[in-house]
Amino acid sequence: MSADDIVEIFRRVLETDDITADSDFFLLGGDSLLGTRVLSAVARTRGVELSFEDLLDAPTPDALAKKIAGVTR
Amino acid sequence: MKVLVVGAGLAGLTAATDLAARGVDVQVLEARDRVGGRMHGIEVAQDDWADAGAAYLGERHTELLALMAETDLKAVPTAMEGASRFALTAPDATAPDARSVPGRFPPLSGVALGELFDLLDEVTRTVRVDAPWLTPDAERLDSITAAEWAEENLRHPDARLFFPLFLGEMMAAAPADVSVLHMAFYLRSGGGLRYLNAFAGGAQESRIDGGAHRLCEVLAARLGDRVRLGEPVLAVEQDGDGVTVRTAGGAHRGDAVIVAVPPVLADRIGFRPALPEPRSSDRTAPGCAVKVHLIHPSPLWREMGLSGWSVSSDGPLLSTVDDSPPGGVGVLTGFVTGEEAKRYAALPLAEQRAAAVAQAALLFPGLPEPIGFHVTNWLDEPYSRGCYAALFGPGDWIAQGPGLTRPHGRVHWAGTETSTEFFGLMEGAIRSGRRAAAEAAHDHPTSGSAL
Repeated sequence: MSADDIVEIFRRVLETDDITADSDFFLLGGDSLLGTRVLSAVARTRGVELSFEDLLDAPTPDALAKKIAGVTR
Repeated sequence: MKVLVVGAGLAGLTAATDLAARGVDVQVLEARDRVGGRMHGIEVAQDDWADAGAAYLGERHTELLALMAETDLKAVPTAMEGASRFALTAPDATAPDARSVPGRFPPLSGVALGELFDLLDEVTRTVRVDAPWLTPDAERLDSITAAEWAEENLRHPDARLFFPLFLGEMMAAAPADVSVLHMAFYLRSGGGLRYLNAFAGGAQESRIDGGAHRLCEVLAARLGDRVRLGEPVLAVEQDGDGVTVRTAGGAHRGDAVIVAVPPVLADRIGFRPALPEPRSSDRTAPGCAVKVHLIHPSPLWREMGLSGWSVSSDGPLLSTVDDSPPGGVGVLTGFVTGEEAKRYAALPLAEQRAAAVAQAALLFPGLPEPIGFHVTNWLDEPYSRGCYAALFGPGDWIAQGPGLTRPHGRVHWAGTETSTEFFGLMEGAIRSGRRAAAEAAHDHPTSGSAL
């Protein structure tokens, strides 16, 4: 799953196009409720079950893509 | 021109205030011996007030914020610092267990909750919020309950555990009491899932300093003797020249009337001629909220690094929040909602207190006995019949929805249940009052306004 895929997920969940690979989910209006929808989208498309702490730890598309790559390696 | 207003809650008082500002003669008739309806304050210590009913607002509540500015009332942020407490156990667990978590995220599967919110978001987006009965697939959505929807759609046990808690928090509903259409409408009307759920940046961003009831008290004070208390309305009779409103104490005559009470209460008024259709059905349930206040000398949980926010899967207190007035006593508000509210409401006060205190001690270890304890049972309030708002059950939106705001001759309708914007909230009440006042002034202008 590339950072670009996650940019798309962030755009859909946060309802804004103003997202790049280093946008911080929580600084752009994301909260825990919306965060779970990122997790469910990742699980749906990649089959990887991340926790909410994973998103707190890796809140940008770039960082989250690296985390997912680490889990699936 | 004279307009009679039935009900001195926020909707009725807003309507009366607007009409008075247009130079219209108004008379507000209130059943209780106080104004405010579902906005009610309890003085929990000298000059410290807790909201027994409606409490929270956010920046999208523009009419409420404007009215607060105009009446010189301030907003107090509900800022939370510290960890949350969660006691979420499977139904077969032997002993309850509470744990601390930073922030407000429950210790459940994030993916499972994400799937739940995806599903809720999907159904919420389909609703025609201005006319729910015109929603695509409205017949089907209005024929099944939220409980049936959950049974069919939610697979993960964490989603099944969390859904009734979420619905209880959002709309004081047991899933079996509301149609899917009403659930989706309510969530959309209030600004969507995220907005309705959030404290900071959401619908629980702040409270009214000194208590929400003060807003109603200020409006009533300005109206003066145009507000009469202790006048439960029994009948509304129209003839060729006007309308007569009969109360226990006498009869009042006007050119029009604005009925600003919840649908179930409106249906208990005798209308002549009769209403073309009822405003509620036997599936319309009261908003199932019992609010509990535990009073402490100060917000002691903050010294434990806790925010006061908690969520429990077993009641009575399904959630708690720190509603302490700035610089005052500690107020821990407990929300008992949904099915749990029906059970709890039936208990004697001593048992209610014992159960709430025991649960608070489990959630906040070391928390001593409270110095004060208050229970407000909205289910059995004869002049509210539920809180936050009426719960529309299967069939209600299709049958009653189109008529909720339609005038019945000289009778106009207000109340938060008649607002498709921010339904069930203070903001909805104000918007409904504004609309009803404009309608009444427009439809019956003959006697001339002073403006």
